[in-house]
Amino acid sequence: MAGAETATYDLGFAKWVAGNISGADKLSMCMQCGMCSGSCPIGTQMDHGPRKLIMMIRAGMRDAVLSANTLWNCTQCYNCTVRCPRGIPVTEILQGLATVAVAEGHAGGEPTARFSEAFWWSLAKFGRTDERLVTSRFYFSAGLAEGVRKSRENLAIALRMIKARRMHLGAPHKIKRRKNLQAILAKAREIEARGAGEGD
Amino acid sequence: MAAQGARSETILVVGGGIAGITTAVEAAEAGAEVVLVERGPSLGGRVAQLSRYFPKLCHPTCGLEINYQRIRGNRRLRVITMATVAAVTGDRGAYTARIETRPRHVTARCTGCGDCARASQTRVPNPYNYDLDTVPAAHLAHPMAYPMRYVIADSVIGTPEADRIEAACRYGAVDLGEEPGAFDMVVGAVVWATGWRPYDAAKLQPYGYERHANVITNVEMERLAATTGPTLGQILRPSDAKPAKRVAMIQCAGSRDHNHLPYCSRICCLASLKHAAYLREAYADAEVDIYYIDIRAHDKLESFHARIKADPRVRFIKSKPASISENEAGDPVLHGEDTLTRDLYETAYDMVVLAIGMAPTAGDAMPEAALETDEYGFIVAAETLGGGMFSAGVAAGPLDVSLSVQSATAAALKAIQAVRGG
Repeated sequence: MAGAETATYDLGFAKWVAGNISGADKLSMCMQCGMCSGSCPIGTQMDHGPRKLIMMIRAGMRDAVLSANTLWNCTQCYNCTVRCPRGIPVTEILQGLATVAVAEGHAGGEPTARFSEAFWWSLAKFGRTDERLVTSRFYFSAGLAEGVRKSRENLAIALRMIKARRMHLGAPHKIKRRKNLQAILAKAREIEARGAGEGD
Repeated sequence: MAAQGARSETILVVGGGIAGITTAVEAAEAGAEVVLVERGPSLGGRVAQLSRYFPKLCHPTCGLEINYQRIRGNRRLRVITMATVAAVTGDRGAYTARIETRPRHVTARCTGCGDCARASQTRVPNPYNYDLDTVPAAHLAHPMAYPMRYVIADSVIGTPEADRIEAACRYGAVDLGEEPGAFDMVVGAVVWATGWRPYDAAKLQPYGYERHANVITNVEMERLAATTGPTLGQILRPSDAKPAKRVAMIQCAGSRDHNHLPYCSRICCLASLKHAAYLREAYADAEVDIYYIDIRAHDKLESFHARIKADPRVRFIKSKPASISENEAGDPVLHGEDTLTRDLYETAYDMVVLAIGMAPTAGDAMPEAALETDEYGFIVAAETLGGGMFSAGVAAGPLDVSLSVQSATAAALKAIQAVRGG
C-alpha cells in the first residue's frame, strides 16, 4: 500500500492537537458552520480557511495542516474567534499549530516564518529589534542570491531612512543587563523542554 | 401547606397567548375556577401575529376563534386584560397575587364600531405589526382582538383630541378619567405563560439589521405576508416597496451561538421553510436561498421540509453567513463560505430575512414571586413557595404552537392537582 503517491493519515492527530495546542481542547465543539472562514478578511489568500483546516485536523491530515499557509497568513485580527458561535479560540489554535510547524520543519519556505525567526533572533540576542539586522537576516534566509538581490533592491530606501534618521549606523541597540534576559529565556526553554508550565 | 389565612382553589394564569389561553380554558372546562391575566389590551399573543401556521399553512384566526368561544361559554373563567402580576407571596393553596392594571379608557359598553378611531388624529406605533406601521390613538389591538374592545393610547389623554374621541362615541364607552389600579387576589396555584420575545436582531452586528433597510426579521416577514399586516399581505421590501423576489433566509441568527442565545429556538427552521412557501406562492419567479447549519425539521415536520426542498427554486446552502453589506442598488449582499463547495461567496438579494430565535421574557419584568429559571432564563416549575407554581408554553422553553398547547394542557392538569390534591 505504501508509496510516494499515497496520502498518509494520522488518525490520532485530532486528539494530539486537542491535548497539545493551547485552546484546542474546544475543537470538538466545532459544528462546521463556516462563520470563521467567511469572516476572514484574507480568506481568499489562504490554502484553506479555518473551518476547512479544522476538518483536515479531524481527518488526520497532519502534514497538510502543518504545511498550510493558513498558519502564516493569519493576521490575528480575531474576527473568527469573536464571531465563532461555539467559542473556539481559532486564532490561538492557528498560532499554536504554527509553533509546531516550525519545530517540525514544515515552515521553512514561509516568508512569515522566516521573518518571525529573524525578529526573534534580534530580540533574544539584544533585547531589542534592530531594523537593519532583522531585515538583512530575513532577506538572506531565502538564500545568498535572493539576499543580495533584495538588499540591492531596497538600498535606496535604506539610505533615505538613514538620512531621515529612521535607521541608524553603528552598533545595534541593546538593553541593559542582557544577562538577565538570557537567564529568563534559558529558564523558559528549560520549562518548555519539561513540557509543562511551572504551575502544572 | 400553610394552614393560616384564606385558602383558594382558583388557578391564576399569567399571560394570554396561546399557552395561557389553553391552560385557562382546559382548567376551567375541567371544573376549576380560573383567572387569566393579560398585559396587553387583547388576548392572542404572538400567535395572533402569525400569518399562517406550519406545516399545514392554515390561519391562526380559526384556532383563536374556537378558543374565544370556549372562553365566552365558560363561567368559571374570568379574563383581565391590561393587567400584570406584580408579586406573588404565600404558599400553595393560599397565594396572594398583587395585580396591577393600566387604564384602557374604554369600558365594556364598547361595540367595536370604530367611530373613536375615525375621530383620532395622531397615530401611535403599532406593536401588533412590530412597529412597521402606525395606528390611530384610539384603536383595536388587532382584528382578532378579545375582548373586542378599543383602547385609547395614554399619549393623547389630557389633550383636546381625547375630548373629540369621547364625543365621537355614541355609546358613552369612553372613560378618560380611568386611573391605573391595583388589587390583591387569593389563588391556589399560578401558571406562568408569559411567552417570549424575538431576539434583538440589532445585536447581530455583522448582519447590519439597523444599517440595511432590506434586512428584516422572521417575525416582520410574518407581518409582511399577513393580510392584516402593513402591506396587506404583499411581500414588498422595506426600502422601495419593490416585490421581494430574490430572498435569502439566514438560519440560527442568534440561536445556537454562545455570544447570543446558546440554545436552539426550535421554530426558526420551520418558520423559514414556511416563508419560502409564502414567497413561492406570491411570485411565480421567486427564488429563495436558505442558509443553514443543519435543518431541524423533526417528526411530522419532516415532510414539510421535503416538500419545500423538492422545489427547484428554493436552494439550501450549508453555511452560516459571516456578514451582510449593501450594494449601490440597496440590495443586501451576503458574505460567507459555502461549506460544501468550500467556495467563498458574495451574493446579492432583494431582501434578507434573519431567522431570529426566541428569547425568554422572565428577565424583562420579573415579578416578585421567587420564580426559578433554568440556565437560559426560562421559567421552571418552582419547588419554592409550596410547589404550586408552574410554567406553560415558551415561558418554559422554546416550543412551537402545537407543543405549547401540549405544554399548556399539562400545566392545567398540574395546577388542578396542586389546588385539589393534598
